[in-house]
Amino acid sequence: MLSFISQIINGLNQSAVLLIATLGLLIIFGLMNVINMAHGEMIMVGGFCAYIVTSVWKLPFIFAIVISFLVTALFGALTEIFIIKKLYSKPTETILATYALSIVLTEIARMIWPLSQNVNMPIPGVLFIKEVAIPYYNIFVVAMAIGLLIFTIVLFKYTKFGKEIGAITQNRQMTECLGIKTSTIDTLTFAYGAGLAGLAGCILAPTIGVSYNMGSVYLTDCFLTVVVGGVQSMGGVAVSSMIMGEGRTILAGIFDETWAKIIVFLAVIVLLRFKPEGLFKKERR
Amino acid sequence: MKKVFLKRIMAVLMSITMIGSLVACGNSESSSSAEKGGTAGSSEDTIKIGILFSESGSTALVEKTMTNACIMAFDEINEAGGINGKKIEYIHEDYASDPATATEKIKKLIQQDEVVATVGCYTSASRQATLTTLKDENSLLVYPTYTEGEEVHPNVIYVGCMPNQQATEFIPYLLENVGKKVFLVGSDYVFPKTCNKQARALVEMYGGEVVGEEYIPLGGTDFSTICNKIKDSGAELVYSAVIGDSNTAFFKNYTQYGLEADKVPICSIGIDESNLQAIGADYAEGHYASMPYFASLDTEKSNSFRDKYNELFDDGTVVTVLTESAYESCYLLAEALKKVEDPKDTDALIDAFAGVEFDAPQGKIKVDQENHCTWLYSRFAQIHDGKFDIIYSSEEALRPEPWPAVLYPEYEGSDFMPAWDDPSCYPQ
Repeated sequence: MLSFISQIINGLNQSAVLLIATLGLLIIFGLMNVINMAHGEMIMVGGFCAYIVTSVWKLPFIFAIVISFLVTALFGALTEIFIIKKLYSKPTETILATYALSIVLTEIARMIWPLSQNVNMPIPGVLFIKEVAIPYYNIFVVAMAIGLLIFTIVLFKYTKFGKEIGAITQNRQMTECLGIKTSTIDTLTFAYGAGLAGLAGCILAPTIGVSYNMGSVYLTDCFLTVVVGGVQSMGGVAVSSMIMGEGRTILAGIFDETWAKIIVFLAVIVLLRFKPEGLFKKERR
Repeated sequence: MKKVFLKRIMAVLMSITMIGSLVACGNSESSSSAEKGGTAGSSEDTIKIGILFSESGSTALVEKTMTNACIMAFDEINEAGGINGKKIEYIHEDYASDPATATEKIKKLIQQDEVVATVGCYTSASRQATLTTLKDENSLLVYPTYTEGEEVHPNVIYVGCMPNQQATEFIPYLLENVGKKVFLVGSDYVFPKTCNKQARALVEMYGGEVVGEEYIPLGGTDFSTICNKIKDSGAELVYSAVIGDSNTAFFKNYTQYGLEADKVPICSIGIDESNLQAIGADYAEGHYASMPYFASLDTEKSNSFRDKYNELFDDGTVVTVLTESAYESCYLLAEALKKVEDPKDTDALIDAFAGVEFDAPQGKIKVDQENHCTWLYSRFAQIHDGKFDIIYSSEEALRPEPWPAVLYPEYEGSDFMPAWDDPSCYPQ
């Protein structure tokens, strides 16, 4: 029983990791309709920022969080301005362009850091509640995920900026006619999505290490989470992260890791067969 | 409209794969012409040898250090006068971490470049992809990677260690000094599973008990469940065949979830110097590893090998057991070539390998008289301050057992392998 409880708590951590990694993709893919194949590499950029800040400059981890968000957001803004802006009406070309970008980033990272690098655990130690071990860092990750989710929902639902994005998603030309600078908003939204990916890389870095392929592992998981949640729903993505994270961890406790992965992915296929729009569909007018 | 969209997506995906393969081809073309080593001249004055390691793709990083080691070895051999007066001309091909490309490239090396032998391949999948060609063309592959065994091919010399050389001395030591209850973990593919099959037999033979066995998908980074299962099992040590970058997450999760190295250490047959930096000194402290060679080995040979490598190649790679193994593969090949009159006579060359010796950085090693594998040392180390502190070195090299006696007693009298004409010798 104790180990089952412990599995559920571990599952929370997995869900939080998945949610943080997916939020950025949800914004870029869900709201802006850009299939960003370089999402994994943006996670990697954040990871390397964390490495440089904590291991090379020897600054505390809190700086790594801020800097990896800002650097990746800036990088996202530049990507949007120079590559994506011209391609909004051509989704297929966006796939090609972002895929190319992902290869470029991976290869550059491999040239500079061929070996996987270490980022020190900022919050070591473990909390024991009876026999159940909960690493302090996991508690931080879960708190971070909830915080980011709430912040993002507020940003997109209750601010002027968020409402403008909503308007653009629904009708770009009409929004432009109303005098809203869609171009600037596109750039900012993309930058925010990229920044979240960078933040995800920074938060992942202390546990999995930083390497040139650290992000690509998450690309498939992130896309699946977005699709299962319903491509435009923040709450939906939170729920689908929970389902996938908890599902995988609990099943891994009962069977083993490989079967857990197979079962969860099979369930996703079945779900999408009967509910292709995902769990939470946003009504469109 | 929708159909058109789908078609476009298909077209894009097709072009991505095509560009991918073009890039791969382009890469290898340039590297092969750029890295032709040795002295140029007519093919009569030189002996051509292929080097087949990846420069791109998922395993490129590990293979880069093996390519470096081969270049270093062949250059040294040439400087010392070559082989019976002939210089070695090495031709490097990149198979882009892809088994199908490995097949293509070994064909190119054999048919177009007419190499007498090839040193190369990293994964078992890439080695197996070359076997048919090697047999049809009757050419030779010297394979330097540690491997799961249960395969001997007449056209391959296996220089990497067999599971028995990592386990037969390591496990009794652990059972005696660390604990009797063993938990087996590994990455989910053939190498860890075969190694753990043997580990289980050894643990039971020496009076220990296997209390659990778990596998993580390749590249997996969440070990929370496995850590929980280890805790629940009451294990006293964890025998790990987790491979590659997954080790970073494994060692970090291990401590994070409250497991301690001084109570339940990880005893790994899958980590080397390239993993230590990423794991970090704190999280690696106190765990064990078993390999034929560690770069920290303090002998004259080992020190000069490691220092020379670090001086020659400042590309971020570090010396590991694979570097050393690739290096000695080249020397063993050179020694065998010295014994034959015509280097192009593959049968004579393969026969010449039997009993060939070399004073390698790890110590004196030799190719087995019969089973095409190599006698290597058994060493284990405890990790301390981010370095491998060697706590045991076997007095001499151990005999390789491709079919280990502990699992296949029927082959014990026949050089630990089935007869050469037995179809179970290698994948047909």
